[in-house]
Amino acid sequence: MQGYFWFAAKRAAQLFAVVFCGISATFMVTHLSPISPVESALGRMTARSNFAPEAVESMRAALTEMYGVNEPLINQYFNFWARLVHGDLGPSLIAFPTPAMELVMRALPWTVCLLLTSILITFVVGNVMGALAGYNQNNRFLKAFGVVAMGIQPIPYYIVAFILLVVFGFIWPVLPISGGFAMNVTPGWNLAYIGSVLQHAILPASSLVLVGFGSWFLGMRALVSNIVTEDYVTYAELAGVKRRTIVGSYVIRNAAVPQLTALAMTLGGVFSGTVITEQVFNYPGLGSLLVDAVNGGDFSLVLAVSTVSVAAVATAIFIVDLLHPLLDPRVRTD
Amino acid sequence: MSTLLAVNDVSKHFSMGGLLSRRSVAAVQDARFSIEADKAEIFTIIGESGSGKTTLARMILGLERPSSGTIQFRGQTVNAKADRAARLAFMAAVQPVFQNPFEAFNPLKRIDRYLESTARRFLKLSDQTEIDKAMDGALQKVGLSLAEVKGRFPHEMSGGQLQRAAIARALIPNPPLLIADEPVSMVDASLRMSIVNLLKSLRDDLGVSVIYITHDLATAYYISNRLIIMQRGRIVEMGDARAVLENPEHPYSRLLKASVLSTEDAGAGKLGTDPEMVAKASRLVDAPPGELVEQPDGRLVRVY
Repeated sequence: MQGYFWFAAKRAAQLFAVVFCGISATFMVTHLSPISPVESALGRMTARSNFAPEAVESMRAALTEMYGVNEPLINQYFNFWARLVHGDLGPSLIAFPTPAMELVMRALPWTVCLLLTSILITFVVGNVMGALAGYNQNNRFLKAFGVVAMGIQPIPYYIVAFILLVVFGFIWPVLPISGGFAMNVTPGWNLAYIGSVLQHAILPASSLVLVGFGSWFLGMRALVSNIVTEDYVTYAELAGVKRRTIVGSYVIRNAAVPQLTALAMTLGGVFSGTVITEQVFNYPGLGSLLVDAVNGGDFSLVLAVSTVSVAAVATAIFIVDLLHPLLDPRVRTD
Repeated sequence: MSTLLAVNDVSKHFSMGGLLSRRSVAAVQDARFSIEADKAEIFTIIGESGSGKTTLARMILGLERPSSGTIQFRGQTVNAKADRAARLAFMAAVQPVFQNPFEAFNPLKRIDRYLESTARRFLKLSDQTEIDKAMDGALQKVGLSLAEVKGRFPHEMSGGQLQRAAIARALIPNPPLLIADEPVSMVDASLRMSIVNLLKSLRDDLGVSVIYITHDLATAYYISNRLIIMQRGRIVEMGDARAVLENPEHPYSRLLKASVLSTEDAGAGKLGTDPEMVAKASRLVDAPPGELVEQPDGRLVRVY
């Protein structure tokens, strides 16, 4: 147990290092980019109106002062960390003066719920079906399933999202295609709202599930068809172990070890996938927020979204890492 | 005398190759031998890689169906598709020991869990102290103890220990027959004799018959009562182990014996085998099958 504690502590240290580097890199990218937030804010404000040059000049001075961009980069960097510790990332520019963090926190639950459900469904169903297909290689239904999975898997997720949008939004309009919930319900813990949220989540979640599912299914099927020829499976069969136990605790458990590693590796990719999925379905999550922020030149909001997503993805990987030694006794924890 | 295991003219064909060049390979051809119930013995199957000895063992265990012929255990035909109760009764009586102990155990499962579930399944035990007693008893027979094994995963044990644990697990249901498929070839040379001696004491002290599959003539000579020598699926010589190995008659058996590298020959730089012997033995692979003919001393030798 003490070994596991040290293992967890070491991984936690790694987590902090990753989050620190990730956030620093995002800070540098946004602050070293030639797009000046002051100029883009000025441009937005002066685009459709006539200001005296003096007024523009004093506005520029005020904005520069407010964003703190006149200070040396290193000072800005330390200021940024000092504020981040308190959860403050400055005001958003496109939704001035709402704090950027507040916008992020409003969008975060949508993305987290969408991702968690679709990853869980994809991972569990894909792996279980893949394992069954690898174990019962002559089953017609599972064979047909493999062909379908192989066919869907290489389609890019945005194409799948558009196909779903067209099919269930226009040809057979049974599902809502835009937004996170219907306009006529009040947000809160009431049945109408929850029902509406679930209904709106079906299409974006299905597009993520349909695309992610295939690779888990195919990967697991390949792993399992190797494992069933292992001596220990034959040995268990000869020892009279029940079929269900063999599939569960011999075959799937051994194949789950590399699949868990694969899960940790794909988490980041799945997150970037949702950026486009959310755009397609106009879903009020982090992805849509990020795109809006980039389009609006809102660098404090970009920074806030990136900071939170770096932390979230790193934490998810950290949790998967902590599960590893529990699943495989060969992973050394001391 | 009742027969424990009867292998009656068993053949196994595999089809090999791609779609266009499909051909049938005879892994085992018309194998026939039997093991008696009341006289425990070590019955050795010797042959090179690809001679069909593992296929034969897999058929005896019911993992492969013979293409022709039958295998009977205590008068019942071995059938993997039998109902579960019959299959369990067979499994309790015929237990395997595999070549590589590291592959025979699930790396994620503790060894004592293996022993425990075997005791529960075959001895129908449910009381923990009785299970522990059965486990410890089987482990003592192989020179281990429950205290040494408890809580350990396969990767935490040495190959020799693990192979002993595999044999202990096989012994829990008190089987009359063990099928040991090259049980020592993956074990350190220094530990090999301890496993071989263990098989010997199983026969002498516990009355367990062992089908010992090997390509190692020295250990076969040391422990077997009877042996068969297989060449490309055919039994070419069968009889009393010492008689056969001291004076092999079939060209392939002679070749096998001549191929054993002695330290003196190796020291003298004599590493090759007589090419004429090799040619003579390999010609017989493609010859018509011929038949096994009984010799005056009781052994069977294939004559073409």
